[in-house]
Amino acid sequence: MTRSRSREIALGVAGTLAFLAAWELAARSGPASALFPPPSRAIAEALAKLSLATIGGHVAVSLGRIAAGFAAGAALGIAIAIAAGWYRTFGNFVRPVIELLRPIPPLAWIPMAIVWFGLGEASKVFVIFLGAFFPVLTNAYRGIASVDPTLVRAAQTMDVSGIALLTRVILPAALPDIAIGLRVGWGLSFGVLVAAELIAADTGMGFMIMNARQTADVGVIIFGILLIGLAALATDWVLGVAIRRSVGRWHAV
Amino acid sequence: MSPRRWLALPGVQGAVCVVLLLLLWEGASALGSLKPFQFPPPSRIAAASWEMIVAGFPTGTRIGTHALVTIQRILTGFALATVVAIPLGLLIGRVPALDQLTLPVVTFARSVATLSLLPLALLWFGLGETSKVMLIAYACFWVMLTNAIAAAKYVDPVLVRAARTMDVGGPALFFKVVLPAATPRLLAGARVAIGVGFMVIVGAEMIATVAGLGALIMEARTFYRTDVSIVGMIALGLLGFAFTAGLGWLERALLPWHRGLAEVRR
Repeated sequence: MTRSRSREIALGVAGTLAFLAAWELAARSGPASALFPPPSRAIAEALAKLSLATIGGHVAVSLGRIAAGFAAGAALGIAIAIAAGWYRTFGNFVRPVIELLRPIPPLAWIPMAIVWFGLGEASKVFVIFLGAFFPVLTNAYRGIASVDPTLVRAAQTMDVSGIALLTRVILPAALPDIAIGLRVGWGLSFGVLVAAELIAADTGMGFMIMNARQTADVGVIIFGILLIGLAALATDWVLGVAIRRSVGRWHAV
Repeated sequence: MSPRRWLALPGVQGAVCVVLLLLLWEGASALGSLKPFQFPPPSRIAAASWEMIVAGFPTGTRIGTHALVTIQRILTGFALATVVAIPLGLLIGRVPALDQLTLPVVTFARSVATLSLLPLALLWFGLGETSKVMLIAYACFWVMLTNAIAAAKYVDPVLVRAARTMDVGGPALFFKVVLPAATPRLLAGARVAIGVGFMVIVGAEMIATVAGLGALIMEARTFYRTDVSIVGMIALGLLGFAFTAGLGWLERALLPWHRGLAEVRR
């Protein structure tokens, strides 16, 4: 490890500790308030009120919803992007429809999601799906549409065409853009999670914190916010590593 | 041009596709294969739009009023965030030690989903305007801050060194060299931040309000007026599009030498 790298880590740790210490002190020095607990008390309170099994259950349910919605959104987004890039006419027909729907925020679909899919799992997964679908689609399409024509022509002179041209030339060239879309989409899936779990949920991290609002359990709320943030950070990191392993070998991402 | 040539134009194909879909939707609903409550036909949506313009929903609150309330919340939060985030981010970006100190906290705060703060905002700031504005401010703040940090950090060092050799330092260096060089990324950040504001506002308006486009679409559903919900969705989409397009236009007008910043970090 180089010196500058270890200095970077040391400063990062120091900054984090300083932030937590400032929060702890600010909350302790003021008049004792239930609404602004120090981090230590918030976490202790949350762990006293909720068993680890309950917390783990909420995390698992939320991650399952995100995984399902994201997988569906990413798969459909990439499929449409490929079809629109491959068949120009299909692209000309479908792109205006996408461009009209894209500016509508995913959360604005919640009422229609309820009307179409009811109050169960499907409506929550649909809202998360929308969070992932549009960024994946637009980034993948941009990647596929902007593949260097020289690459395509070079492949064609070597008699590569059809599916081989797609899988061996166009998709690898578009991978960096697809990867960006996947990461933005994953972030948005997390971004809409809490609102999706406002729809008649009785499980999930979003439910956990909104339920704690009813009883003004600020400790549980703060713990839940930190938990959702950590889950987003950790899974994004895993996604980033996976992308770098598969794409980063020949592209800087 | 012959009809075939006309149909070959991409724009025409797109328009044809949209019109065909709308006709199909209208027809399927007239034949009874689509339930009008689940898929209000375009004619019903058009009627609801007119109703929203002249009468409003809930009665008396017209679409313009809802839109103004929403825009006001977004712009207030955005302005609060920007005023703090730009100077702070430029400072952090210019001081490497400060950047390394704050990096983990900034990274974490950025990955905290803004809407997970909704229950906390409601408890801290009550059910009124403040909680909604603060949520927007939080969301915009981290987008603007990370862009401001990057903007200051990635100012071409050659520019700074060139200015130094000409004995430009201190405030002059900042205002004459660093700030202009950082402006493209700041504006790109502002565009992303406004977009994020439009995403978050819908969640913020889901609770304890009947004013605003987000509240309108939720409220309309509980009264079985999905046609009104869709009018609200269209209005939100149009507004979001107009604001991001407007900022994009501003970028090109203010920085004609800087054609688009393709890579923007959220």
